[in-house]
Amino acid sequence: MKVTILEWHAVAAWRWDAPADDVCGICSQPYDSTCPKCKYPGDDCSIVEGECTHTFHMHCIATWMQHDPKSQCPMCRQDFKFKGENVAQEPQGEEGRDVGEGAAV
Amino acid sequence: MFASKRLSKELQKLQGTLPPGISLISAENFEEWLMDIKVMDDNPLYRNEVYRLRFRFGSSYPIEAPEVTFVQDPSHPIPMHPHVYSNGIICLDLLDTSGWSPVQNVESVCVSLQSMLTGNSKNERPPGNDAFVRTNRQRPRDINFVFHDNKV
Repeated sequence: MKVTILEWHAVAAWRWDAPADDVCGICSQPYDSTCPKCKYPGDDCSIVEGECTHTFHMHCIATWMQHDPKSQCPMCRQDFKFKGENVAQEPQGEEGRDVGEGAAV
Repeated sequence: MFASKRLSKELQKLQGTLPPGISLISAENFEEWLMDIKVMDDNPLYRNEVYRLRFRFGSSYPIEAPEVTFVQDPSHPIPMHPHVYSNGIICLDLLDTSGWSPVQNVESVCVSLQSMLTGNSKNERPPGNDAFVRTNRQRPRDINFVFHDNKV
């Protein structure tokens, strides 16, 4: 028997490359969800990893770094530096503007 | 918003299993919670006593530390400790801007205070307790604590 496919729908799901059951240490929301200030998960509310390997929602760690004069990682108290340049340069759009300050510290 | 989302997560967890000696007493809103702690070993300073803690959360918790004090009532004394004033104010870097981290939470603060008591053998109040308690009108968050004791 020969089957001819006339139409098909692809369904895909995405998730961040982080342990599935893990939550952001600052807001306690899952990485695949958003920080408490955002509505939609995805590029507008990304996650970032520090050189110390600790991961947070970008907005959560940015809020903390604006508050903490020493800009230390909340987990290990080392200076928090974004791991890899591409992550730090990523958000240039409307949503990214308010975190730019935190990221540059 | 930041605080309420995080606190509702914490509350879910606190209503489940807690470490021995720590219990949730009330959490009617996202501004003020009461927790009880009990020292689990045989330390004679704290034996058979239950201590009540009041947590006050600002709208930016956990970016800002909660305000945590011991509260006194007929069944809950203020524990004797060289870093606990007799009005319930606690001098602990963890609760101050300099030592707070947003990954701390209500449970971890309770555990830290429990172990701070467990490890203590001095039946003492902080130096200058009487004058401080008599004159202090500031909230704990506005006090400039100096942290000098690394043994706690």
